[in-house]
Amino acid sequence: MKRRAAIFLGLGLGLALASGIAQADKLDDIRKAGVLRVAAFDANPPFGFVDEQSKKIVGLDVDYAFELGKKLGVKVELVPTNPANRIPLLTSGKVDLVFANFTITEERAKVIDFSIPYFASGQQFLAKKGTLKSADQLKEWRIGADKGTTMETTLREKYPTAKVISYDDTPFALTALRNGNVQAITQDGAKLVPLLAALPDKEKYEIPAFAISEELEGVGIPKGETRLTTTINDWLHELEKNGTAQKIYDKWFGPHSKSPLPRLFKIGDAHIRDK
Amino acid sequence: MNIASLFGEPLAAKYVLWLVDGLGMTLLVSAIVVLLSTLLGFAVALARTTTLPLLPRIATGYVAFFRNTPLLVQLFFWYFGLPGLLPEAGMLWLNSVHTLSLYGELRLSWPSFEFLIATLGLSFYSTAFVAEEIRAGLRGVPDHQRRSAEALGLTPWQVFRYVVLPQALRIAQSPLFGQYMNIVKNSSLTMAIGLVELSYASRQVESETFKTFQAFAIATIFYILVIAAIEAIGQWLQWRQDSRRRRSARPA
Amino acid sequence: MNLQILIDNLPYLLWGAFPDGALGGAALTLLLSVISSIAAGVLGLLLGITLALAGGVGHSALLLVLGFFRAIPVLMLIFWTYFLLPVAFGIDVPGLVSVACALSLIGGAYLAHAVHAGIAGIPHGQWQAGLALGLSRWQVLRHVILPQSLRMMLPSFINQWVSLIKDSSLAYIVGVPELSFVAAQVNSRLMVYPAEIFLFVGAIYFILCSGLDALAGVVSRRFASR
Repeated sequence: MKRRAAIFLGLGLGLALASGIAQADKLDDIRKAGVLRVAAFDANPPFGFVDEQSKKIVGLDVDYAFELGKKLGVKVELVPTNPANRIPLLTSGKVDLVFANFTITEERAKVIDFSIPYFASGQQFLAKKGTLKSADQLKEWRIGADKGTTMETTLREKYPTAKVISYDDTPFALTALRNGNVQAITQDGAKLVPLLAALPDKEKYEIPAFAISEELEGVGIPKGETRLTTTINDWLHELEKNGTAQKIYDKWFGPHSKSPLPRLFKIGDAHIRDK
Repeated sequence: MNIASLFGEPLAAKYVLWLVDGLGMTLLVSAIVVLLSTLLGFAVALARTTTLPLLPRIATGYVAFFRNTPLLVQLFFWYFGLPGLLPEAGMLWLNSVHTLSLYGELRLSWPSFEFLIATLGLSFYSTAFVAEEIRAGLRGVPDHQRRSAEALGLTPWQVFRYVVLPQALRIAQSPLFGQYMNIVKNSSLTMAIGLVELSYASRQVESETFKTFQAFAIATIFYILVIAAIEAIGQWLQWRQDSRRRRSARPA
Repeated sequence: MNLQILIDNLPYLLWGAFPDGALGGAALTLLLSVISSIAAGVLGLLLGITLALAGGVGHSALLLVLGFFRAIPVLMLIFWTYFLLPVAFGIDVPGLVSVACALSLIGGAYLAHAVHAGIAGIPHGQWQAGLALGLSRWQVLRHVILPQSLRMMLPSFINQWVSLIKDSSLAYIVGVPELSFVAAQVNSRLMVYPAEIFLFVGAIYFILCSGLDALAGVVSRRFASR
């Protein structure tokens, strides 16, 4: 009898805990804890990567995360992630938000919420110079992608005959390209440009001009946290208005950065602007 | 939030098929690795016991090195590191498609680089463990068995083939099957080099459907079934041997 | 071969961003292995003794549970403990703890069988002699059986601990910055030296694992000479 009571007690406690999680407001929780736990890339320059000197994770996404921390008046704690771990990290409550080059899709929006986009780019390819001339070639190619990205899915949908090989993170895919294991790798154009710029033998590679999709990237937020979402959206508009968004962009993609790229998308836009 | 809500809608048939395909790849790789590592394991075990100079040392070094480094790092080295050390033409050949037509109908195609490295890398690693089990089996055969067989006039090969080997295999059988189970489990690491086996498939289904719980649960059940099947085969072999021995021991 | 890049990145590979940031690299691998080894050892000992003493349904049930942990790949169990424990029970487990959990559960399951076999390997006469002297079952186990069988089990423990050090490399999949993870990071930053980096990292693991092996050799010789 005693044991059964204990089990019920345990169950009740578990339920109380679980429902507690469901009802509490994340925004209040974050403020109360004084800490914002953010999942960021640690190997995807310039969005999130480990700085050689400071050994800390830095990047465009990280700058946004710290801006939000400032706004909310809390400390930011970064959790390194690879692409495939982003949604599980969020749904299992290990992080409060994801700032990791996170493309907004309908499928993903079924399990998590997104802010309005704060970055946009197109899915492009990196290949040996002069080899990839048109998107048609992709049908027969071996292409390296990252596990759990939209790139993988889009490629499989648009070019079902292409051989897609997925790795745990972009640098692995890049090594595979250099080794010749794959003929091209696919990523956001904005991620490929700095990747190419960092290559020691960059003259041998190129990013063909075509893109096969438009990727709008937002902040990943746990499902149903409407107050948190509104706060973040308002804050993003504010960043655009007060010039912080432009400043962050220029730091990583501006004319004096390592990988200059014109800014064709501003927060509040629905699509990338034509050049 | 209860367990049932974790499962949600059952997985669509398409995704279950992905997992089944992954299981197929896991089985194929494991079967090849079991075969290769058993053959290589024998060679290494014999090399360790010969009286030839140098050979035992090389074999001992091989076992020490492959046992004492993680499989993941070994796979990373073979897949990402080695190609950079090979000439470019060689890599080009390895990566391009080669098909061999046999009688026009049957076509053999060169496996993908991922498959090649996965099977070889896993075989090299497992060989070190299999070799140790075989060596223990060989050492377990009492010396007088060898000597009496020699006294009967058998050649060294005959002594090995008909006297030492059957007994050594019987001693080593159970730990060998344990190693074969490890091979199946370790094959999960080949997902890191892009081989579409069961763990890779579960991760893929998870990232496409977000049904984390189901994807992992099905993959886990598949692994447990395969391990249970190997266990059953091992038990059956043991039982057959025992009953055969009992029969031959019975006075005529 | 480019040795300079290894020298430049040596501190990061050995202890991560420490002391400015979190401990990582080989030091974290060591820490993770020590924690999991102790947990696996204690778990193995407890479960092994239970296996040896329990009879009937309890014995079979325990065998089934142990069988589960012996059948599941480490990688799979890490996914389970990392992503699904928090959802299922509403508790948040840090990456390091969930990997340590997975490693000790699997290690413990293997060691339980070794402990059981070690206890079963002691001749039954010893039990009878102990009981005849008026000792309780527990006292016989504690003072007569275990001291003898532990010596026999030592190789199994060492083997399991070596496996544990190697398996800790799988923590890379959930972003725990142990040796393999920081190696992958360094590899992605430098981009063109994968062979050097992974060979070097292999060598560090080799030193850790064969060091443990050698230590075990010394200890067991000590035991034998006593």
